[in-house]
Amino acid sequence: MTAVVEVRRVTRVFPMTAGPVAALRDVSLSVGTQDYVAISGPSGCGKSTLLHLVGCVDAPTSGAILFEGRDVATLSEGQRGRIRLTRIGFVFQRFFLLPMLTARENVELPQAEARVPPADRRARTRDLLDYVGLADRADHLPSQLSGGEMQRVAIARALANRPALLVADEPTGELDEETGEHIADVFDRVHADGTAILVVTHNPALAARASRRVLMKSGSLV
Amino acid sequence: MTSLGLAWRSTRRYRVRAILAVAGVAIIGALLFDMLLLSRGLLESFADLLRSSGYDIRVLSRDGVPVARVPISDSNRLADDLRTLPELGDVVLVRVERAAVQSTGGAPRDVTLVGTTHAGGGPWTIVSGDNLPAAPGPPSSCPVLLSAPLAASLGAAPGSPVQIRVQAGNATSVLPPLACRVIGVANFAFTVRDEHAVATTMAALQEAMGDTQPPDADLVLAVSKPRTGAAAAVRAIERLRPDLRAYSNEDVIAQFNQNGFAYFRQISFVLSSLTMAFAMLLVATLLTVSVNQRLGEIAGLRALGIGRLRIASMLMWESVLLVGGGGLLALPLGAALAAVLDRILKQMPGLPERLHFFVFEWRAVATHFALFAATAAVAAAYPIWLTARLPIASTLRREVVD
Repeated sequence: MTAVVEVRRVTRVFPMTAGPVAALRDVSLSVGTQDYVAISGPSGCGKSTLLHLVGCVDAPTSGAILFEGRDVATLSEGQRGRIRLTRIGFVFQRFFLLPMLTARENVELPQAEARVPPADRRARTRDLLDYVGLADRADHLPSQLSGGEMQRVAIARALANRPALLVADEPTGELDEETGEHIADVFDRVHADGTAILVVTHNPALAARASRRVLMKSGSLV
Repeated sequence: MTSLGLAWRSTRRYRVRAILAVAGVAIIGALLFDMLLLSRGLLESFADLLRSSGYDIRVLSRDGVPVARVPISDSNRLADDLRTLPELGDVVLVRVERAAVQSTGGAPRDVTLVGTTHAGGGPWTIVSGDNLPAAPGPPSSCPVLLSAPLAASLGAAPGSPVQIRVQAGNATSVLPPLACRVIGVANFAFTVRDEHAVATTMAALQEAMGDTQPPDADLVLAVSKPRTGAAAAVRAIERLRPDLRAYSNEDVIAQFNQNGFAYFRQISFVLSSLTMAFAMLLVATLLTVSVNQRLGEIAGLRALGIGRLRIASMLMWESVLLVGGGGLLALPLGAALAAVLDRILKQMPGLPERLHFFVFEWRAVATHFALFAATAAVAAAYPIWLTARLPIASTLRREVVD
């Protein structure tokens, strides 16, 4: 299986006033095109740091991240932005939908940035909202949606440009158990439809759905 | 959705912030607009006043100053000489005296008495009746134009008899008063508030002064020929009579601009700069607070691959909408404020009634919008810089921890 992303002996140290803090120590991980990887571990063990490195929003202190075979460190900020836009889909714990845009417009935004023709992006948005079960809420603002609905819109937005990898940071962290289950169902479908997933979660039920579970402790994989 | 569309939605979403910003900018903008009107208003109004006389050259004795003129000796001959100059057209003599005017049975009123050889015109506008006659009238004929407030005060109208007695210094002349007849009522361009004015012919003034010869003019007005222009006419007059001082309207305006008007310009510049700084700080503060409230949202967008440029242009458009909205509202607000301030400032003593401090000019509107465009750009600069440098990962982490 081809790797979408390879993490090779990565260390991430944050300079702090009280002294440097190593959030990751010599971590290696590979996520294949068909993988659904769940990372769990106690708070502060470096899960989100690893996710941010894989998602190309942060750079390692040492080691290398290869995204689809390309060393991310050699890419310009613009190239990394392009990868995030077209090859990676981000799902956040707090959704980060634009409050002034409707569900449909939120899903269209990354496509517009990627210069997808208007007719194509309208069709894609319709399909995606239907896919996450929100076709009838397309013209609602985030403030008019429940937490679970907002997260489903965020997943549709993350899938908008047909990414190779979906990264999710505590996607059920703000949701109740039942709504979390619905989100986990959506993730299952996304994975079954051929998108690799890397999810950081404290939710054992969500982690149990993954094809591979990784435990982290004190900045290292266990 | 375009960056402008996003900015518009954001502005509508944070409606209270937008209303506060637009209101603040509108009030500050109104002050700025007024400063721009004030910075040239008095000058423009003064120039308009000068030009309204219909003459573009003024000739004075070198012994006096424009506000305290002395008679030009043998001015009638001077007028004849000036008329021979090819650079000049019409030439008119003017003599100004203090006088008292009285209607039959009424109390005397102190007036500025203007004697002129001007035919059929002058720096006044006829309200009722006729202008001064073009041809000299019969001996002992004394046609007068009364300023409108004076006519109202005397209860006089065209056809009414009045008596004029010239004053020498602060003393009333021992000569008997001259019987005159009102031929018209006019608005005088240069009269100040509560100043009464009377215009008559030079011949009538001579009779009122009890002179055997026509009085010497203290001001000669002339019109330059369009093909030569005022500057060439001034040079020709000074060549002909080096003992006199000639000014074109432009010379007078330039002197006024340099001397009497410098204070207004400096005050206007200082206050304009301050208002610009206030507008910039207001919008920059609101945008910065707004950006700080939306850091997670912005970091999320950046993580999704939305470019810095898109976010920067969205913020720039937000700034333009806030500043532009306020700037537009500032125009009617500033115009209304200018009208009120103009009325207040015109209460100052000694100012011609037709002089205005605030005069509308399109260039003021253009400058207003140019300054506001610059303000919008500067106000957006810091929030844009903030978002451009935003560390995505640590911001996302902080948002979750907070």
